[in-house]
Amino acid sequence: MKELSRAQIRDLMGQVLKNQGKVLPDDDAADLREVGFRSLDFSELALRVEDETGEELNFDAPGLRRIATVGDVLDFLVELQRQ
Amino acid sequence: MSDPATRVQLVPPSSVVLVSGGSRGLGLAIVTDLLEAGVKVAAFARTVTPELAKLADAHPDRSHVGSVDVTDLAAAQAFVRAAEERLGPIDGIVNNAAVGQDSLHVHTAIADIARIIETNLTAPLQLTRLAVRRMLAQGLRGRIVNITSICAQRGFPGLVAYSATKGGMDAATRSLARELGGRVLVNAVAPGFFASEMSAVLGQTQLDQIVRRTPTGHLTEPEEVVPVVRMLLREQTNINGQVIVIDGAASI
Repeated sequence: MKELSRAQIRDLMGQVLKNQGKVLPDDDAADLREVGFRSLDFSELALRVEDETGEELNFDAPGLRRIATVGDVLDFLVELQRQ
Repeated sequence: MSDPATRVQLVPPSSVVLVSGGSRGLGLAIVTDLLEAGVKVAAFARTVTPELAKLADAHPDRSHVGSVDVTDLAAAQAFVRAAEERLGPIDGIVNNAAVGQDSLHVHTAIADIARIIETNLTAPLQLTRLAVRRMLAQGLRGRIVNITSICAQRGFPGLVAYSATKGGMDAATRSLARELGGRVLVNAVAPGFFASEMSAVLGQTQLDQIVRRTPTGHLTEPEEVVPVVRMLLREQTNINGQVIVIDGAASI
């Protein structure tokens, strides 16, 4: 299975935000609320990763609720690809 | 002149009640309450918990419990037959067994959507069909209570498939009540979210916010649903084809 790297996912995340006129900070510790990255943006990003890898990424909501920073998003999706 | 009441055959209180998903939570509370009320209860669940086994031990002559997956129709049929041999004909059903959901629709696996529909909609319809066929064949009148949810009527993220199944059961409740022509009373009870469920997925701030929006000032507890289920199974009320919401008016 094709797997996207953390950097590749970060690029996709930047595109999701750019389409909304927002900017992805360089700092992985940046708070998602301050960035303006909402739960549906996360869904969009996950679906973009799916498009690239050709594999569905399914997950429960409780996992999402623990995500608070840019780094959390990247870690979650990197880990999800490996499951 | 004849009194209309003498011409109408009323549905008697259920005396032998089949409860699906009776091993924990609301199902266990319903089983406990009915046994305490002197009703005979046949309860099954995927796993018979120690709590359910203890109840069965305390009421050996009025209970029959077993480990049955509600989606296994053959196993459910065998359980019903065994329960009727031991307790007598079933004249009440509580469709309580269900699986939950906590995932956005776009990220819910296709297999999980199918499993939710099979467990929460197909299985109770099949169990109802099975039990009603036996009631009718034996010339019995009976009562059915479907445990649905407030999310059948109001939208909640993360519960799309679950809500669809509960809405399906609400709709089936109305049509069954019509179809069974008063010979079997069919109603649904739609609780709001239980405190235990909510606290598992929400933070204290969100919980406090929901409570503030609830006129009665508290989230629903299983103990508040149980008397309504008992009433629908046991009391003479003429309630039929209804969905009774129990949520402290949080949804109005």
